[in-house]
Amino acid sequence: MTLDTHPALPEFEYVQPQTLNEASEFLSNHTNEARPFLGGTDVFVRMRDGFLSPKYLVDLKNLSGMNLLTFDSQSGLTVGAAVNMNRIIASPEVQAHCPLLAEACRSVASYQLRTRATIIGNICNASPAGDTIGAGLVSDGILHIHGVSGSREETLSAFFLGPGKTTLKPGDIVTAIHFPLPPKDCAGKYLKLGRNQLSDLSIVGVTAFGYKDPTRASGYRFRLALASVAPLPLMPTNVETHLAEHPISVETIHEAAHLASEACTPIDDVRGSARYRKEMVRNLSAKALTEVWKKLG
Amino acid sequence: MAEPKIQNSSPVGESTPRIDAREKVTGAAIYTDDLQFGNALLYARIKRSPHPHALIKKIDVTKAKALPGVKAVVTGENFPGYIGLYLQDRYIFCRDRARYVGDPVAGVAAVSEEIAQKALDLIEVQYEALEPVLDPEAGILPDAPILHPDLGKYVVAGFIYPKAGTNISNHFKLRKGNVEEAWEKCAAVIERSYRIPHIQHVPIEPHIAIAKVDERGEVTMWTSSQSPFAQRNLIAQSLGISQSEMRVISPAVGGGFGGKAGVSMESLAVAIAMKVKGHPVKLRLTREEEFFTAFVRQGLVAHFKMGCDKNGKLLAMENRFYWDGGAYTEYGVNIARAAGYSCTGPYEVPNIKGDSYCVYTNHPVGGPMRGFGMPEMHAGLEQCMDELAHQIGMDAVEFRKLNCLKTDSILATGGKIHPIGLEDCIQKVANAVDWGRKSAASAPASRKRRGKGIAAMWKAPAMPPNAGSSAWVELAEDGKVNVGIGGQDIGQGAFTISAQVAAATLGVPYEWVRVAAPVDTRYSPYEWQTVASRLTWSMGNAIVNAAKDVRKQILDLAAEAWDESPDELNIVNGVVISYKSEKEAPLKNLVIYGLPNPDGRGWKGGPIIGRGNFMPKDVTGLDAETGQGEHGVVHYTTGAQAVELEVDLDTGRIEILKGVAAFDVGKAINPELVKAQMEGGLVQGISSALLEHLQLKDGYPKNASLVDYRIATSSDIPREMQSIIVEVAQDDGPWGARGIGEHSMVPTIPAIANAIYDAVGVRLEGPPFTAEKVYLAMLDAGIVK
Amino acid sequence: MTFHKINVTINDELEQIIVPSNMTLMQMLRESLALTGTKNGCSAGECGACTVLLNGEPVNSCMVLAAECNGAKILTVEGLARDKQLDPVQDALIQTGGVQCGFCTPGILISSRALLNRNPSPTEEEVREALVGNLCRCTGYVRIIESVMKAAEMKPHQI
Repeated sequence: MTLDTHPALPEFEYVQPQTLNEASEFLSNHTNEARPFLGGTDVFVRMRDGFLSPKYLVDLKNLSGMNLLTFDSQSGLTVGAAVNMNRIIASPEVQAHCPLLAEACRSVASYQLRTRATIIGNICNASPAGDTIGAGLVSDGILHIHGVSGSREETLSAFFLGPGKTTLKPGDIVTAIHFPLPPKDCAGKYLKLGRNQLSDLSIVGVTAFGYKDPTRASGYRFRLALASVAPLPLMPTNVETHLAEHPISVETIHEAAHLASEACTPIDDVRGSARYRKEMVRNLSAKALTEVWKKLG
Repeated sequence: MAEPKIQNSSPVGESTPRIDAREKVTGAAIYTDDLQFGNALLYARIKRSPHPHALIKKIDVTKAKALPGVKAVVTGENFPGYIGLYLQDRYIFCRDRARYVGDPVAGVAAVSEEIAQKALDLIEVQYEALEPVLDPEAGILPDAPILHPDLGKYVVAGFIYPKAGTNISNHFKLRKGNVEEAWEKCAAVIERSYRIPHIQHVPIEPHIAIAKVDERGEVTMWTSSQSPFAQRNLIAQSLGISQSEMRVISPAVGGGFGGKAGVSMESLAVAIAMKVKGHPVKLRLTREEEFFTAFVRQGLVAHFKMGCDKNGKLLAMENRFYWDGGAYTEYGVNIARAAGYSCTGPYEVPNIKGDSYCVYTNHPVGGPMRGFGMPEMHAGLEQCMDELAHQIGMDAVEFRKLNCLKTDSILATGGKIHPIGLEDCIQKVANAVDWGRKSAASAPASRKRRGKGIAAMWKAPAMPPNAGSSAWVELAEDGKVNVGIGGQDIGQGAFTISAQVAAATLGVPYEWVRVAAPVDTRYSPYEWQTVASRLTWSMGNAIVNAAKDVRKQILDLAAEAWDESPDELNIVNGVVISYKSEKEAPLKNLVIYGLPNPDGRGWKGGPIIGRGNFMPKDVTGLDAETGQGEHGVVHYTTGAQAVELEVDLDTGRIEILKGVAAFDVGKAINPELVKAQMEGGLVQGISSALLEHLQLKDGYPKNASLVDYRIATSSDIPREMQSIIVEVAQDDGPWGARGIGEHSMVPTIPAIANAIYDAVGVRLEGPPFTAEKVYLAMLDAGIVK
Repeated sequence: MTFHKINVTINDELEQIIVPSNMTLMQMLRESLALTGTKNGCSAGECGACTVLLNGEPVNSCMVLAAECNGAKILTVEGLARDKQLDPVQDALIQTGGVQCGFCTPGILISSRALLNRNPSPTEEEVREALVGNLCRCTGYVRIIESVMKAAEMKPHQI
């Protein structure tokens, strides 16, 4: 928020490339002047606030493959970059194979905004508050990226460099996110604490995921991702280790939750204080992990 | 002449459908930004101070003026007149200094909003930052920077008492009995302090004004307004023109809540328009600007001390209010006054020492917001009542019933209160939440705790003693009715009840009545302002008088034509009837053309037009030293709310399970509209209690956007709501009616605070009772770990 | 400044219109086409007063570029009633008294119509969730929610 917000969008040129190559070339030829967009819900707001003033806005929504949502029984779920969050929530494939993703999407904003919002947009924004990033991380999401020198894949866990910073280079376009087949018998939970009952940004967001794993001492593997409590979405590995090595009980979950709270480095901002966030990480991690554990049986 | 007989079909008391609903659901209703002006329209944007307090050393507009598409750039240099409602303490544009972040320093008119916005960046202003005043108690310290050195010279209403040479723009004093002696007799005494933060109205339609000045210098302004006549008056005075040289038109209003009363940004549009004669100039606030550059609800630091005897009877109160009035308090001074004379809450207290100070600070401008000081004041007062009851070992409901005002109780300001149903309201809301029975326990392992809370309230319309209403009524050849009013429908249903009241008085079906809208000061009759929950009562009376005037003319005409006495005639369902001869005549045509004389020589009658007005006649002043006066206000609306809520022990989050309201409205002209006010007010109250806070740090708004200034959504309302109408007639109200619009938001914060205490045993210094504040309070008190 | 010629169907009428790159759908409706039923409450995607249906789905029209709408089908509040017969969501809202100042009303009606299109018998919870992006300051939402439940029971005027 600034005190000089523009009444409407400042001037720019709207560009609609017809192919991925055209798009990548345009973006790399106009580095620093061109900005890609999908739903626009973050970009437009930041432009009005004066934080972004691109000369070109490049619409990627109609490029090949961006609108596909497919499930393959061998390789898993693939969500095209332009698939909006409402489509993801309503998709039977997502409900069956990655319900945590649907749950995370459902927590975002409002129905109207979700008609435009995409998880790729959420991910590329690289905000620590991104609601769908946690689900993407615990589900081992892999980004498909098309660049000027061809395509590549990047695991989500390696993607974030800092708040608002990713490994994307000029000309890179994320075309899809792929989720490998989940383990048999898995469960997940996304707990989001906002100021309103629904629709707010997160003060704290906790994504918990777990599955039975006989190779671990505890018989389970749990993963935890935390939103809004560190410069990047946080996946405290000591929490995972603790829950892998010790028999799961109310106590171990509490200890794990405590570790999660210790691991996070929240700040004071208009939405909440660091102190409160640390407490909530602990309480909500315990709650989410407990729920996942119960679902797993 | 006989009183209008209330027919079986009288719409008063019926929940007739809103007169303006259809145009609103079809998108046909015209709001100010919907008006079409063609290519002559220019757009304005305002250059604002980035400092909370600064001298303005130099303004250079040359580059801005040179930008293609810019038609005018104005500064305060062009507008030397002061402006203000109760105290003329502001300029239209800053002249020598800026007093809040957002204070208008210059204005641009250009062919597009975009170009006007670009021009702002080209205006160069040199400031010299000054030390700001950021707290009202700091503002009254002897070494505080003085924000208005000329305070002693400002034109001020006779009932406002500024202290020249200080930052105190009003000090209302209430002195009654002897509090010092009374403390000694008290069996229990409570002393508490509260900080109530700034909030904002957040109307879904932001402020907007379009002004055009013609070659003669006459002004037309289209604006979303609660106060077309007051805006005309204040802006004309400030610009040195006569009221009749300015015309204000208000199309549909997308919410006001007090924020669109008086004058805030409207004068800017007129000032800029003066430099581009012949062009309409549109100025609309962005949502972000809406949060801090029009009006806000001022903050309050309140100190309460109250005591009761061993039976729970209140003996004394000593209450001090320091209002964070903001940079200009031309409207806010009356909020301080209203809180001053209401400082005991709706209770009988024999010994009172009350001081209510309006203090200048370098914060956004405090202005009228729903409740006009009452929500802020009751927030703390009604918590103290609970705590005092607890100390003396009495139930909170019984304590209030014992002490609350009843018919003929003595008021804090002297004089007696008129008949009221406050005790009934308190009992009814208590019953509705099953008071006395502990909330059903949540499941044993549940991490939630439930609690119940109650709060009572009172409020009088806070207005000058001679705030007037007027109305005209005319009919067309088809016998149908047109009612002219100056009051605005801002959503509360004023147009609808106007039609009901006119129809009932005249004796025509409700469907026959139209209201002449939009309100246009050239054609509409005068109305002081649409504020203070005064329209149903005041404007309603004016409409009754106008309709009675019409009725008399019609009956006199028919009586003469039929050679009968008007006492034997009536108008029923649009037909003049004689009870004596059973003659009948429909209103059609006779209301325009009159009736023919029986001898064939000419006609009698003529176009019927009725007029009426209403103005309080017997409001006395309140003594400047004691605040005492026999009839200080016209009347009070009283009521109560109760809530049952649940606190989440893991997050501190509050969920309202049930919210109940009961208000004594005298007479519900339209019961569903009254209930709709109770529902809307309760939710806005909940929103202000749990979510809202305009965060100001060093004078800078930190959350001036809907992203971070949260209001209640459809997911935040109570699972169950109940609205109870109590009717103890107001003797001088139409059919006994008095207002409700604001009152429904007044007791909500303390009702919730009291319920939180009941649930988990914590109290907070002030709202909003966010999950974080509740949780950390529980943590610090050892209730959770 | 660049311009785009777009063909867009609005309330069943085809329009051919030239729009600048930085014009939002909301601005196009209100300023270029004088369809002022859709309201500007924040221009930031937060209040929902500008909600319209874009290819059948509700969006905040302030968060969509007009230039993106070539070939699109738009429904605004002006298109809800057919031949003077109100849509059930409009009728129901009048009946329950869910209109006060009316500024949020067009957006609310579009969101309600969209909900009933995809979920003809919603629960109250589902109605609340569907309307969470439409802020109302006057009514407290009670009668709005009631109106959607009521509209669900009413006969649709047309498919």
